[in-house]
Amino acid sequence: MTDKKAPKNNPDIEQTSTCDTTEPSEKNKETESVSPSRRGFIKQMGGLSVASLMGTAALLTHSDDAEANTTWAEWFQGNYRLMTDEEKEQAIARLERRYTSEFGKQVTVDGTPAQEGVLFGYALNIQKCIGCRRCVKACVEENNQSRGDKQEIEWIRVLKMEKGEFTIDKMNDGYPGGYGIQVGGNAYSAAGVVLEGEHYYEPKKVPESDSFYFPIACMQCEKPPCVKVCPVRTTYREPDGIVVVDYNWCIGCRMCIGACPYWARRFNWGEPNLSSKDMNPKTHYLGNRPRMKGVVEKCTFCIQRTRKGRYPACVEVCPVGARKFGNLLDPDSEVRRVLARKRMFRLKADANTYPKFFYFID
Amino acid sequence: MKKYNISAVLIVLILAVVSSASAQEKKVVTKKAAEPQKEVICFESRLGASEVTQREIKPGLPNVKCSPKTGAVLWWGDPYEGTVPMGKMPIKADYSKGVAVVKPRSAKMALLPICGTACHNGTYPPLPKNKRPRKLTMHTDIVPDSLNLQHGRGAIWCLDCHNTKKRNKFVDNFGDEIDFNQPQKLCGKCHGPIYRDWRDGIHGKRIGQWATTGKKRWFVCTECHNPHDVQQGKRNSGFAQLAPEPAPILPKGMKNADHERHHNTDESGQENKGSKQKGH
Repeated sequence: MTDKKAPKNNPDIEQTSTCDTTEPSEKNKETESVSPSRRGFIKQMGGLSVASLMGTAALLTHSDDAEANTTWAEWFQGNYRLMTDEEKEQAIARLERRYTSEFGKQVTVDGTPAQEGVLFGYALNIQKCIGCRRCVKACVEENNQSRGDKQEIEWIRVLKMEKGEFTIDKMNDGYPGGYGIQVGGNAYSAAGVVLEGEHYYEPKKVPESDSFYFPIACMQCEKPPCVKVCPVRTTYREPDGIVVVDYNWCIGCRMCIGACPYWARRFNWGEPNLSSKDMNPKTHYLGNRPRMKGVVEKCTFCIQRTRKGRYPACVEVCPVGARKFGNLLDPDSEVRRVLARKRMFRLKADANTYPKFFYFID
Repeated sequence: MKKYNISAVLIVLILAVVSSASAQEKKVVTKKAAEPQKEVICFESRLGASEVTQREIKPGLPNVKCSPKTGAVLWWGDPYEGTVPMGKMPIKADYSKGVAVVKPRSAKMALLPICGTACHNGTYPPLPKNKRPRKLTMHTDIVPDSLNLQHGRGAIWCLDCHNTKKRNKFVDNFGDEIDFNQPQKLCGKCHGPIYRDWRDGIHGKRIGQWATTGKKRWFVCTECHNPHDVQQGKRNSGFAQLAPEPAPILPKGMKNADHERHHNTDESGQENKGSKQKGH
């Protein structure tokens, strides 16, 4: 804060100093030290009572163990985006302790920030996808979602869609079947593709002859509607383009679920069911660390892997190689080569969300 | 001011009790039962190609996680396990900056080291005089699909790909050898545009690091496609049908998924047809 002592009549410096987030608090401190205001007094008293009560509460519930202390500290931690590096380190160390004791094995929580010059992009060959759902299951293996009959959470959904045809005999066909959104044909009969998929298809073998398959997950939009609506700003876009959620700051209002045009977000209605054996111990604070009841989660392009250089789990598992991932700012990357050479589209481009998830065909 | 303080104290007290109570609830006792180790073998991309035996790299970190339903590998702990350098990249160009490794196929084929010298040594058995296809009488156990070759629509036969004089190698357009671990050189003879896409990472599959300069394991052609059955008969598709992973569980209270059935499937499809006829 060297510009603090600058003369007030310099508008440039004044402007930059107000942009700095640490400035207001320092100003407050200064005024408080001169003349203690009512607000300052209350603040101090509040802090005092909190400190004393923490001790009392610990005594009252006989829980002087690490778990209780961690819970306390988590209650009072800030939004991850606004934490200082030191606070982040503390929060991460706390979580590592908690998860390690909870799951009975060494769990690491990573806080690797975004790399300079990287903007993640994803391309999916819609013509190749055979609907085998291996990506869905690989995602679950990697990202510590809740599993089991009580609460199953999957970030990717694969829709089976019927192959549309614009044939002359369909144009004059009778009445609609009552399913789907009409995109062709006449007022009574839908010709062409209907944008209504089957989630629960279960044939013996895929692909079926009359269908194609449409995997949908978070599109990591450049203008994410979910970020716009979040009342506590716990979901935000990282510099490398990944939209993340700070689960500790999430209040579970589910506004983002309503705002997302891609049905990409999931809510933990109950306590997540994750066994120690299934748990993936390599986690990231903003990614696959175990979630709690009442928070929203979604695809993060496997932030714990991609920030360390590894492909996302769904890219690796795809048996037909339909999924491509890379750096959009690198002209030699696989995604850029796809965009340069293939015909592509973005889902619901008219929603003006600018997804970084591209569908392409050969 | 006292009022404020008292209310603050009350709120904090309530919070404290609630949170510590929930913290105690969450405690999960995890027991490690000593189970007898069973060997699990999973397949990587397609059934019949590369396979992996499940083991632990480090305590708690398996080399692969497999699907309990289909036996397919779902997750790699170490993407480079059992791989060797690809050797010369297919073509030297500006995109071959990274490190490429492949999983050798030769390790799986027991007869490969000797078949080129012991039996098919170039003079015996007598070399065929013409390219007219004839029925394979031996080795039907090694290549069961070869009796009904589904590749090239009758235009090609065995020795267009397999080396006549050295049976443990493939053959290129000039009669030179191609290694069994580099089928892309063979397939690229005919499938040029796909070979180009594969080289650039658009076609096919790679695992490892996403960066252009990173280390990647490339999957070669035969790891995903069965070269003797690429046509798949009527399906006319390069990729065999396989069993899908289980569907997501239905939402609470929902008995079945009939609500989402399409026009052309099952009962609802028949109903639609009926209504159509009535309408006209």
